[in-house]
Amino acid sequence: MATAPLAPTILIVEDDPALRTLLMRLLREEGFQPLSAGHGAEMARVLETNTVDLILLDVMLPGSNGFDLCRSIRRESDVPIVMLSARDDETDRLIGLELGADDYIGKPFSKKELIARIRAILRRTQNGQQASQPRGHQQMTFAGWSLDPGRRELLSPDGAFVDLSGAEFDLLLAFVSSPQRVIGRERLLEMSRARFSDASDRSIDVLVSRLRRKLAVTGQAESLLRTVRGVGYIFTAAVERR
Amino acid sequence: MKLLRLWPQRLVGQVTLVLMLAVALEFIGSSILFENSRLYPNRDNQVRRAAEQLVTAEMFLEAAPPQQRAEQAAEISTRAAELSWSPLPQLVDRNRTAENDLRTRFQDAEPSLRGRDLRLNADTDRALPRDTHLKTALRLRDGSWLTLKTKIRAAPWAVLLSSVGSAFILGLGVIAAAALVLRNLSRPLRALAEAADKVGQGAHVRIAEHGARDLMLVAKAFNAMQDRIAGLLRARTEALAAVGHDLRTPLARLRLRAGFVKDAEAREALEADVDEMTTMLDSLLAYLGGQEDPEPPRRMDLAAIAMTVIGDAADADRPATYAGLDHLPVQARPLSIKRAISNIVENALHYGGEAALTLTREGDTAVVAIEDNGPGIPDAELAEVLQPFHRLDSARARNTAGLGLGLTIVQQILLREGGVLVLKNRPQGGLRVELRLPAL
Repeated sequence: MATAPLAPTILIVEDDPALRTLLMRLLREEGFQPLSAGHGAEMARVLETNTVDLILLDVMLPGSNGFDLCRSIRRESDVPIVMLSARDDETDRLIGLELGADDYIGKPFSKKELIARIRAILRRTQNGQQASQPRGHQQMTFAGWSLDPGRRELLSPDGAFVDLSGAEFDLLLAFVSSPQRVIGRERLLEMSRARFSDASDRSIDVLVSRLRRKLAVTGQAESLLRTVRGVGYIFTAAVERR
Repeated sequence: MKLLRLWPQRLVGQVTLVLMLAVALEFIGSSILFENSRLYPNRDNQVRRAAEQLVTAEMFLEAAPPQQRAEQAAEISTRAAELSWSPLPQLVDRNRTAENDLRTRFQDAEPSLRGRDLRLNADTDRALPRDTHLKTALRLRDGSWLTLKTKIRAAPWAVLLSSVGSAFILGLGVIAAAALVLRNLSRPLRALAEAADKVGQGAHVRIAEHGARDLMLVAKAFNAMQDRIAGLLRARTEALAAVGHDLRTPLARLRLRAGFVKDAEAREALEADVDEMTTMLDSLLAYLGGQEDPEPPRRMDLAAIAMTVIGDAADADRPATYAGLDHLPVQARPLSIKRAISNIVENALHYGGEAALTLTREGDTAVVAIEDNGPGIPDAELAEVLQPFHRLDSARARNTAGLGLGLTIVQQILLREGGVLVLKNRPQGGLRVELRLPAL
């Protein structure tokens, strides 16, 4: 595996030497080709001489922090970035995602979790170069609701924040990306699996019914998510992008 | 400005000044009242003076030629005593007891009137203050008549009563004024007491530094003490939080290293240990960071958050159910509320074996109720479980994970959102936890 010519190159930017070594070893064992840097300047040097498929970026770094680095990378390139942070709080996660990071993992994370997320992102970006989901921060609106993929936020018609689980959000994003078209169960499962490796345990039907309940509006006769018997589902509302 | 400078700076001085002013006011007031009461001469004196006037006028008129007497009598009249002369008597003696009594007193006062023809008419007003209108006629030596009309003023008891009444009212007034001023002086003290009561309940209470100089010093010292306490607490909190954050890196290494352990059983145990430490660290950081949470309150759907928490538990094959409203908007911090609900649901699943969440609206209050079928909490300990680091004995015996901060964090969160946490043992067994929030 390690000798395969297409082994993805992953750059680890982490100031803790022991953790850096561990991550290198772990990624090498999983068939990736890891590079490492201890701070921003070193990262810039590595990026000059290597083509990198993904960057694992720690937030707490000496000198310019991970957020600054993320912003400066985004100015030049679309390389996928996964932020690593000791502060597992939502504000940090949102800042990271708004700055253009592709994912955010709080420390401590398990080997399984890290690898799954890296694989998911690589699959998304390498499949035909064009990500199936829009990565920008285009707001989308449908039937009074508004969806912000960057902040991963859903607002109801009366402006209230509606909490969605990660899988529910990805499912809704999949629907909203192909509105008024029948989407098969298999395709939905595949789409939500691309991001969350543990989605396989969850039945798509359960997720859809949960989404329906959260999207239910009194007075709205027809559900936004209609079942197409034996095939899958259709998202009935028109979607506007802004 | 001069008056302000005369105002004493210290509390003792101010109280003394107020007392002195009150005493002086009382003194001046009662002196005026006393003077006034002397203006009302008593009855005996008035009768004596009338007799005197009668005798003096008699002497004067006797010396004058009869044709000038009427004129002269009018001349020596005063406002209080009207004199007149006539050749014939103006009065008929009615010989009543009151009049005979008065005649005796006239004669006692002026012995020269004894044995003379002295006629009296006394009419007393029916209305208070019951003045007596007195007419006296004296037969002069040549058979003509001298008449005196005067007024004998009010009975002494009425004067006494009115002066006592005034003194009483004056006294009350002075006491009220002094009380008002002293109340004003003690206001800073009361503010201090209230502030001291609030300190330690989380709020930083700044008290105004004004009033008497010594009270101002107390206020200053109090504020400075509060600042020091807050500073100490902040330093400790920051140190603990820093350690907490720093612990995450070695924990991250440990967790990754666990991935390299070949023995599956040992690896899972190691990962479980790391998970437990992470959970403890998270709850400690949530407890410490509760006050400085940067998340702003916003309009949010309480139902969606509760459904997500229950959904996550259900996905892990745990017996958690959701019932109630599909939407219920509140104004709150979504992440905090999610943590609160999730803590209670975790507790219910852990100690009660199941979690049945019900979302209802009671008037203006959103109620998230989580019920379980566990052993509940002994009534005596219902209040104590909200204390930080408190754990029930049975929980300790079971050697459960966590630091005993779960409910404390929930309460902290709810207080910040203007809500309350209610714990009840259900009559049929099990615990009912209510998170009550103001609904929109």
